[in-house]
Amino acid sequence: MNTQTKLLIIDDDPDYVAGIRSVLEKAEYSVDVAYNPKDGFQALQSKQYDLLLLDIMMGRGAEGIALARKLRKDPKLRELPVLIITGIREQIAFLFPGQPVHPHFVELDELVEKPVEPKLLLEKVSALLKMAEEKKSQAKK
Amino acid sequence: MGKKFKILIIDDEEVILDSCTLILGSGNYQLATANNGKLGLELVGEFQPDLVFVDLKMPGIPGLEVLEKIRDRDPNIVTIVITGYATVSSAVEAMKNGAYDFLPKPFGPDEFRLITQRGLDRRRLVLETISLRREKEMLRENFAAIVSHELKSPLGAVQQNLFVLEDELSDKLSEEQKSKIERMKVKINDLINLIHTWLRVISVDVKKLQENFKPASIATVISKAIENVQPQAKRKDIQLVSSVQEPLSLVSGDEGTLVEVIGNILGNGIKFSRVGSRITIKAEEKENSLFISITDTGIGISKEDLPYIFEDFYTGNTGPVVEKSSGLGLAISKRIIEAHNGSISVESELGKGSTFTIRLPVQ
Repeated sequence: MNTQTKLLIIDDDPDYVAGIRSVLEKAEYSVDVAYNPKDGFQALQSKQYDLLLLDIMMGRGAEGIALARKLRKDPKLRELPVLIITGIREQIAFLFPGQPVHPHFVELDELVEKPVEPKLLLEKVSALLKMAEEKKSQAKK
Repeated sequence: MGKKFKILIIDDEEVILDSCTLILGSGNYQLATANNGKLGLELVGEFQPDLVFVDLKMPGIPGLEVLEKIRDRDPNIVTIVITGYATVSSAVEAMKNGAYDFLPKPFGPDEFRLITQRGLDRRRLVLETISLRREKEMLRENFAAIVSHELKSPLGAVQQNLFVLEDELSDKLSEEQKSKIERMKVKINDLINLIHTWLRVISVDVKKLQENFKPASIATVISKAIENVQPQAKRKDIQLVSSVQEPLSLVSGDEGTLVEVIGNILGNGIKFSRVGSRITIKAEEKENSLFISITDTGIGISKEDLPYIFEDFYTGNTGPVVEKSSGLGLAISKRIIEAHNGSISVESELGKGSTFTIRLPVQ
């Protein structure tokens, strides 16, 4: 695994973050954490990350969605792959039963539900990174 | 409470206005008077009274019309009519128009105080009902957000860390220790699922489903539901037999939630059936309706429990406790079926089994 791969987690629940951080670090990713959307956005602007793990329900509501919208508008950050981690899928799914909920907040995103099995988390992360890599190399051609 | 109630009196006779003001003057009220309907209605807007007395017989705008306009403006204002011609018919007419009570002229001070008190008691109740209703609505709306954050998040964090522990300790733990972690995971998962179910019962408006209704095939719904519960059935060696009388018309509905309903009922049947028994699912079309019946030969439901089984959180009091349940599955099912303009009913005999029948109108 490439130690240079940098991930950022934005999630306001330190206990939950501890649970996924160690999985990711064990897989030799370098992991930074921001515990609120504001710090998270600052981190994204000051440092280059390869992937963002974003919580949806933060603070007073779905602040993660607001952040994702901000990313989409940013010409530099819109390319960043985002793994959305959320506990709200069940609620949304009741109104759209049978359909996989895939919000497509940004160009490249995937959704996993809290809590997530370590194996599944790593699969999703590496799949997203691979997709981003392919896209980049296609753009060069 | 320290609220000073506002009372408006509309009557063309100055004597009445004066004497009413005098009678109520000593009480803890705020008073306003108007000597005609037009002025009275203006005051309803400005003064915002809790209680309005309206004389039925006035020059200008008639009393009944004043009543009607007050009701249009705010149906929660309590109105009482004053009538010099205390015929039952005019009072009845006024009460049909929303008046709470009537006061025949002439009246004495005690009579007036009493009816004022009654009117204000009514107003108090009305206000209380409104605020309770608002509170309930807010609770319902906020419930999802509160529950998901305050209950689900911590559980999710616990589960997440448990996953990690299990992973990191996988080569150090004995089989017995692993099975303990496994048990913890299962229990936490059950809790998370229970919270999901509560959320759906309390915070989701089932009527919204109707916005996404499409033609749906009941045969497909049944086979999907069977597929979903098959693992549970296998574990108890229960046979699921379905007989669908094709061709069946389509229903207008939401396949996902219909599958859930059938799945719920099948799941209950499996829970409350003996090992090795069978559950039969039938579907047929009669008189523009589809009837789906699900029959088990399980423990049945006692007569005492039967009327309540579709209520929230009801898990039965009298029968033997076989398996734990949230008491919500049937309640949700009933709501879903009703959102489909259908109905659900049950027949059961203790010790012999139950038959649930769902009726859905065809498209």
